[in-house]
Amino acid sequence: MDTQKKAASKFPRWAALTLGGAACAALTAAAAWYDLTYNGGKLVYPIHSYAFAPTDIPMLLAVGLDVLYALYLAFLLVRGIRAQKEHTAKTGRTRRLSPKLGFLGFCGFLGFAGFWTYGAMGDLTGFMFFAFFGFFGFFFEGKMSNTLMDERYKENAVRAELKALRIGFGIIFFLLLFAGQARRLTAELVAPILIAGIALTVALTIFLSEYLLYRYDHDDAAAMEEDG
Amino acid sequence: MDGFTCNLKTYRVLKGMTQGELADIVGVRRETIMRLEKAQYNPSLKLAVDISRAVEAPIEAIFVFD
Repeated sequence: MDTQKKAASKFPRWAALTLGGAACAALTAAAAWYDLTYNGGKLVYPIHSYAFAPTDIPMLLAVGLDVLYALYLAFLLVRGIRAQKEHTAKTGRTRRLSPKLGFLGFCGFLGFAGFWTYGAMGDLTGFMFFAFFGFFGFFFEGKMSNTLMDERYKENAVRAELKALRIGFGIIFFLLLFAGQARRLTAELVAPILIAGIALTVALTIFLSEYLLYRYDHDDAAAMEEDG
Repeated sequence: MDGFTCNLKTYRVLKGMTQGELADIVGVRRETIMRLEKAQYNPSLKLAVDISRAVEAPIEAIFVFD
């Protein structure tokens, strides 16, 4: 039992997951190379109808493995969220998070891909990734990880959320007003401006609710002055 | 906080309690007790009653509103 624990601590889960993901990506790349070289790229290029051939097996296996890996990640995520909820309900404390998760906020830069996808394919979805900037809020949530949620915490949480939402709604209102008033803007410009603007506002609201909660909780005097 | 004086520290020290001990008894964080003592936080009626029972002093003596 002790040996198992030692082995587990030497090889943490995040390393196993990263290695698993890298292995899946490598296998998919190898299968794609095989398909392009020996199968005429049948499963790489878009097809209209499909008929099975034994040479498809490597690619099908690689894609199947990718799907299993994604399902396993989803399972871990759901299990983690449920465990955190149980912890919160049982102990009355906030969920346990590492402030390092705040680095996920850098995923917000993926939103700039929207300029490319919109220009090349007319697809606006890319702009929605700007909302990931909101993950910077994990930095402050992590700082208040496993904190007892007493009445002062709950009061501050409501106050922070209210202020963040007020700012967010204000920005969206002026964004809509601007998009509606600017006569020189064509529909092709209004759509990305609104999607990107709303995604950035959502990110700001998520971030602000965590940041303000942290600030109110650690600096009540300043918060009271600010609120009048 | 305007018009609000808190004498909690006096009664807590009289009972020989630390902020942490009082916080554990009434189910809040030590920081909340600290801010209460500085009159920077206006407690709920329930918390005020719990504190009053814990330090065995009347509410109106602990929390004084002008």
